[in-house]
Amino acid sequence: MVEIEIDGQLVNAEPGEMLIAVTDREGITVPRFCYHKKLSISASCRMCLVDVEGAPKPQPACSTPIADGMKIHTQNERAKASQKAVMEFLLINHPLDCPICDQGGECELQDVAVEYGSDVSRFSEGKRLVAPSDIGPLIQTDMTRCIHCTRCVRFGSEIAGIMEMGGTGRGEDLKIEPFLAEGITSELSGNMIDVCPVGALTSKPFRYELRSWQMNAIESIARHDLVGSNLYAQTYKGKVKRVVSGDNDSVNETWISDRDRFSYEGLAHEDRLLYPQIKVEGQWKEVEWEVALDYAVKGLKNNILNSRNAQKLGGLASATATTEELYLMQKMLRELGCENLDYRLNVKNLDQTIHLASNIKLAKLEQVDYALVVGANLRLEQPMINHRLRKAQLAGATMNALNVKEFDFNYPVSNTVVSPNQIASTLAGVLKRVLEAKSEKIPEYLSTLTPSAEATDMANTLLGAEQAVIILGEHVLNNTQASSIANLITEIAKHSNSKTLNVSATANALGAQRVKFTPSSTGMNVNDMLNAEMSAFLLLDVTPEYDFHHVNSALSALSKEDVFVVSLNSFGNELVSQYADVILPMAAMYETSGTHINIDHKMQSFSAAVSAPGEAKPAWKILKVLADLLELPGFHYENSAQVLSEVAHQSEVEHEYDSSININENTSAIETIWMHSPYQSDELLRHASSLQASKIGQMNTASMTQATADTLSLKSGDRYLGVPIDVTDAMADQCVFVSSNQATNTGGLS
Amino acid sequence: MINGIKKLAKNLTLSELRSGMKITAKEFVNTKITVQYPEEKTPISPRFRGLHALRRYPNGEERCIACKLCEAVCPANAITIESEMRDDGTRRTTQYDIDLFKCIFCGFCEEACPVDAIVETQIFEYAFESRDGSIMTKERLLKVGDDNEQVIGKIKAQDAKYR
Repeated sequence: MVEIEIDGQLVNAEPGEMLIAVTDREGITVPRFCYHKKLSISASCRMCLVDVEGAPKPQPACSTPIADGMKIHTQNERAKASQKAVMEFLLINHPLDCPICDQGGECELQDVAVEYGSDVSRFSEGKRLVAPSDIGPLIQTDMTRCIHCTRCVRFGSEIAGIMEMGGTGRGEDLKIEPFLAEGITSELSGNMIDVCPVGALTSKPFRYELRSWQMNAIESIARHDLVGSNLYAQTYKGKVKRVVSGDNDSVNETWISDRDRFSYEGLAHEDRLLYPQIKVEGQWKEVEWEVALDYAVKGLKNNILNSRNAQKLGGLASATATTEELYLMQKMLRELGCENLDYRLNVKNLDQTIHLASNIKLAKLEQVDYALVVGANLRLEQPMINHRLRKAQLAGATMNALNVKEFDFNYPVSNTVVSPNQIASTLAGVLKRVLEAKSEKIPEYLSTLTPSAEATDMANTLLGAEQAVIILGEHVLNNTQASSIANLITEIAKHSNSKTLNVSATANALGAQRVKFTPSSTGMNVNDMLNAEMSAFLLLDVTPEYDFHHVNSALSALSKEDVFVVSLNSFGNELVSQYADVILPMAAMYETSGTHINIDHKMQSFSAAVSAPGEAKPAWKILKVLADLLELPGFHYENSAQVLSEVAHQSEVEHEYDSSININENTSAIETIWMHSPYQSDELLRHASSLQASKIGQMNTASMTQATADTLSLKSGDRYLGVPIDVTDAMADQCVFVSSNQATNTGGLS
Repeated sequence: MINGIKKLAKNLTLSELRSGMKITAKEFVNTKITVQYPEEKTPISPRFRGLHALRRYPNGEERCIACKLCEAVCPANAITIESEMRDDGTRRTTQYDIDLFKCIFCGFCEEACPVDAIVETQIFEYAFESRDGSIMTKERLLKVGDDNEQVIGKIKAQDAKYR
């Protein structure tokens, strides 16, 4: 700690810290454009020049390290004069189109120009004009406005990991432009909009809609993945018009993924359900809430309750629901005496489930020195978790991926590509080597195993690491050895003293686990329900063709003549209309208050940013009223916070689970791993048009090797399960990896 | 006593009547300042702030670019604007309403306008026959502008050198 003097004020600072960080902390204003606290220092804009006593010339605050006894003036004549001179140069080529610029009103250049700019320009020559380039459906460019701060370029190379924007030319001809004709494809690209200090990069879906001063910013939480990024929903006249990132160093730092940023577009989709509907004699009728709820209650009573047959009622919910909604639904069903409830709709075999604790904090992920990623395309599936790992890698960590395909990580990863049924044996090899190194007893099931060379390498790096993490992803969810894989990872972590991170479930799955939205021993899980003789279902935000693994059996179970189905949905859906008897319109993301539990088990509550359109209501209210009408006790809630306090009082129970490990390879069949494209993971995203138009949203390929294609007698140009095939060497035989923006039932997967 | 005599003298000499008649006689020969409204009208300053108009460029393109500065500056919140990207990629209004019941004719909108689109004309004779008549829509404002472009151009040119 040293003492320095800024504008006559004594300030404590760390030696070596940059001056601008100190002034920011002390609340002293220093104008800047190129400096950004999360990016490297380029000192290119020169706006932050300050007078340092003893220095022959003014020094840029962003790149001047603190030394003991420094005397700095940020406001004296010399500093002001240099800042004004820099401003005049910056304004030479900047167009005066603030009135039509979307950045107008929130523009750093505009703000600084008010204080440091001159009224009249002395520049009478022609201004520079840069042709705009189309860089995709998310970001609008107006590069004439660019002041070459290079924040977007540094963001690309340092944070997004793909240097998609760059400077070409020199001096007057310097242009910031995308290197590739296909434009910007990064899953974090929207952050360039936030970092751009001027209107050169703005949000395309938001273009020309509103001025920044017209909107209210309401804090909220993104619910599309396990991170729960903090963000602001900017609203105008009861509609979400734009989403910008919020700061939270323990969650998302200051970045958000594109799907968090642009999903709001789905809220205004024409498919939104606005009124409660009931099916009378096969015809859908829009009715009042009272009528619809009465109809639902009557249906449930007739089919279930009057005959005291609660075991024939099933409750299914999507993991995107809020913790409160899930809690109320399970409380209601349990009050009715029904234990059949589940949120794990996309799991093929619920006897083979993944039990793996996440025991490393998000912020700690960037401090690991070894990470093993098993079964995940982390960059697209969990962008913010991947970003943390990328930071670790940049700091020197070793990365291994054990996948069926070589995925595109935005940092160097040594890929081990094995077919789905070899994942368990590879991990078993790692475990064996770890146990050998620690001279511990080798269990029976490992005795005959010979670890592969890759497994040995992994084990060696793992043991050499001080802080290692093993990450288990979604691709393993429907692996025939899913539970063994999870148990192997637990064992490896235990013996190698490493951490584990379970990203195999997403959205608010941890919230669902917290409120025990799974059947107890007397109840049925989702797959059992679909095969049993049920009389009624209560569905929360379920979209059959995307959510169910067993789509066809789900549809036939739900469509049965004598099954009464009450479905809470935000968006209209043909299949839901086919089987449901009552459709209750529920509020979507940003329209309801609630809580999301992220991978750190951090409960993040949010309030509604806007009210739901039409007659749609927050699902927690619908469930509460439904419970009241069913005359169940204990549903006197006035707001969702009361529900949450009840959740918080419940003890967290550790589930008993099968910890046995079975590594026998089953090589008979070709395994299909079906993943929805990252922008198809929930209903709101599926209705967000700009995301769907982006390159990631358009992903639709079934990848396989030539050998697999031959076995399936497919050739280039054919479709597999309705998805165009892509023959590649960079993956394992005996499996097909589908990444699709189509619904699962189009290909007849069952 | 003295006051009574003074008053009597005043009354007998008709002095008050004569001073009144003097003004009448003077004004009888002076130039008339009364105008016979509506046949006759007083001259109006170029800075007069009357009914609003939206102007167009000579090529027929509307000037307004939906920057919403007039909406922001309006102290009476009389202006409502909605904007969009028109098919040709330019920023345009879809709605531009001025509520004349709210408007206080301060002229800030005109001052704020970067493209001289919204102006206050010299028109002050207008009346509404229904409640919603007070809302000047974009179409009505453009119509006022189109009908009076000649005059608007002239008065703005007159005032330009003082701005």
